[in-house]
Amino acid sequence: MSDDTLRMLRDSAADFATLDAARVRRLRGADPGFERSVWQEMAGMGWLGVLIPEDLGGLGLDLRAAAIIAEQLGRALYPEPYGASAVAATLALLHGDHPDLKQRLLPQLAAGEIVASLAWQDERGGLDLAQCAVAAREHGGALVLDGSSRFVATPGADAFIVAARGARGLELHWVERGAAGLACEPEMRADGSAGARLRFDAVAAAAGTRVASSASAHSALQLALDHATLAASAELLGLMDCALEMTLAYLRTRVQFGKPIGSNQALQHRAVDMYIQKELTRATLAAALAAVADPGCTPERRASAASSAKARASQAALAICKEALQMHGAIGYTDEYDLGLYLNRALVLSAWLGNAGAHRSRYAALSQAA
Amino acid sequence: MNYGVEQEQDWNALSDEAFRALVRAEVEAHYPAELRYPPRRLRWDENKSWYLRMAAKGWIAPGWPREYGGMGLAPAKLLIFLEEQERWGIARFQDHGILMVGPILMRFGTEAQRRRYLPPILACEEIWCQGYSEPNAGSDLASLRTEARLEGGDFIINGQKTWTTLAHDASHIFVLARTDKAAKKQAGISFLLLELKAPGVTVRPIRDLAGHEEFCEVFFDNVRTPASNLVGELNQGWAVAKSLLGFERIHIGSPKLPEYGLQVLLAVARARGVEQDPVFRDRLAQLQLDVAQLGDIYGHFAAMVGRGEPLGPEVSLLKIWATETFQRIADLIIETAGDCGGLAGKVPMGDGRIEVLAPFYKARPSTIYGGSNEIQRNILARQVLNLPG
Repeated sequence: MSDDTLRMLRDSAADFATLDAARVRRLRGADPGFERSVWQEMAGMGWLGVLIPEDLGGLGLDLRAAAIIAEQLGRALYPEPYGASAVAATLALLHGDHPDLKQRLLPQLAAGEIVASLAWQDERGGLDLAQCAVAAREHGGALVLDGSSRFVATPGADAFIVAARGARGLELHWVERGAAGLACEPEMRADGSAGARLRFDAVAAAAGTRVASSASAHSALQLALDHATLAASAELLGLMDCALEMTLAYLRTRVQFGKPIGSNQALQHRAVDMYIQKELTRATLAAALAAVADPGCTPERRASAASSAKARASQAALAICKEALQMHGAIGYTDEYDLGLYLNRALVLSAWLGNAGAHRSRYAALSQAA
Repeated sequence: MNYGVEQEQDWNALSDEAFRALVRAEVEAHYPAELRYPPRRLRWDENKSWYLRMAAKGWIAPGWPREYGGMGLAPAKLLIFLEEQERWGIARFQDHGILMVGPILMRFGTEAQRRRYLPPILACEEIWCQGYSEPNAGSDLASLRTEARLEGGDFIINGQKTWTTLAHDASHIFVLARTDKAAKKQAGISFLLLELKAPGVTVRPIRDLAGHEEFCEVFFDNVRTPASNLVGELNQGWAVAKSLLGFERIHIGSPKLPEYGLQVLLAVARARGVEQDPVFRDRLAQLQLDVAQLGDIYGHFAAMVGRGEPLGPEVSLLKIWATETFQRIADLIIETAGDCGGLAGKVPMGDGRIEVLAPFYKARPSTIYGGSNEIQRNILARQVLNLPG
């Protein structure tokens, strides 16, 4: 993947990603919380297929390309489920072991015809794949799914890739939105988007819709989640960069006591600390993406790099947005002012796929094992 | 010419693994065991046997280009070289000649200056120290008052420098001196080289809070140095000095000291039996991430240096993050040590002896020297974030 490719991608993503705050506000509480027309535009630019091989309708690039897109979408607070569908669900399918499903579904994902979302966590959440509360069991000669899955990122998806405990271990199943026995209970998130709990009551599953058998499900899901974790970190980077820019502009122009408030050293030094957190996030994300792009990268190294990036990005985004709010004063606490959109999105993305504490623990466990 | 130093081979042609193995074998076989992980800066008498060996081997200047007698290591190889020194706990020496004078002369010096000064630096025959700070010119370095006037073929220097690291081990000093008192602050300063044994120089060590004598005061009373020891143009010394400051900030920003701090922290935690305590583990993980990410951002700036790109004011963030991370680690060491946290020297703990307070005493001044962290924040606020004055 050449630097030129990445540069072109960055330019086109930057052009596309300007904040439409009115749209972001309008989509709060809507079902679905994103727009199919925008999704189609993204597909038109090839973004939904960056990680999909060229012979399946994608661009065949690696995560560095997806991260560039995610960062720009983060800057502009796009509610479209890029990380959840074009990274997480797409990679779980791609690294599963069902060639026919890949042939059929990956081109549709690349073309933006369908949106997919992973369902893998139980009531408590967390990063442990073994903590799965959906069972795949034989029932009257057929395979069915029972149980529930929470923190599903995109309840408005057309299909879910569901992690289930089968007779031989973890499996991944493709379950369409309208499947009999599937119930979707939305949960409102801080930014007005919805997550969901899915309940499975003897939902039909079959070998024909099994994305990954127990031979590959665990590794495919972990790979998909680590990559999505890095994409979420990139989205957080774009978001914090923008929140910091807004704040710096405010510090330069807001006049009190006859001078810009940004001339006060007490605020300058705090602004520098926000900047340092952002630059640490950028450097750590870049190092992690480079590590993951290396063909010799082990799953442990990948997990460690993803945790490092997400721990910093989650912590830094929240720290920056909270400081931004304080520096703006009361105007920052109003819903009318755009800063709050950034803080609320930071809360959602920081918690998604493991917050700073969860990734700190995982990083420590991996370091100790190494 | 290569200034008298031949390299055995093109190190950059080796694979990273092969080069690492070679460096590791060298340090493990020959570095004196009693000098590993010293709790303070060693004096030249204590560690010269090792550095004279490195000089003889041609390994004293890993980052210098080969044409100047260095190893000519590419950034990735240089990082490996430094990592292996760190892994084995190799003591730093008074390396201002290697880290500062060499790069300065390569960039601003004359060919005659390079021929005169680079070979003895490479042979460790001449040891350099840095004469910047003065009693009334600390953070505000440009207000310095040590003056040099040209008389005949010599500069005559009068004044005082302070916080001069290991001046008592040095044979030479590079100083910033005022050569035009009428000009505004930065405009009238020149960069001069001189011998410490020149008549009129007095070096007086300063005892620090840790009880060590690592830095000194240096007094100049009508000290002469030939005009040929002016580096760069007359009254243009500030530009020369500033190029070193960027260099110093990246050097202070290396993950070396925080990594050493983490090693001490782990040793203290083991001795106290709190390694598996969940509160300790979470705080340790945060610091491990802080250090690993310092490595990521250090790598970013080191790669810029490797590509020959100038370092902008952004590099100040590296100094802030490195030194404050080191201080957080040192603080957790003391807290983890509990009752042993107030004991001086090597403290018996668990099965061994640990100098619990050594990282603390190393870390405290790190936010003061090299431009205090407050000054670094001012620089970032004004020059990078464009906040109003």
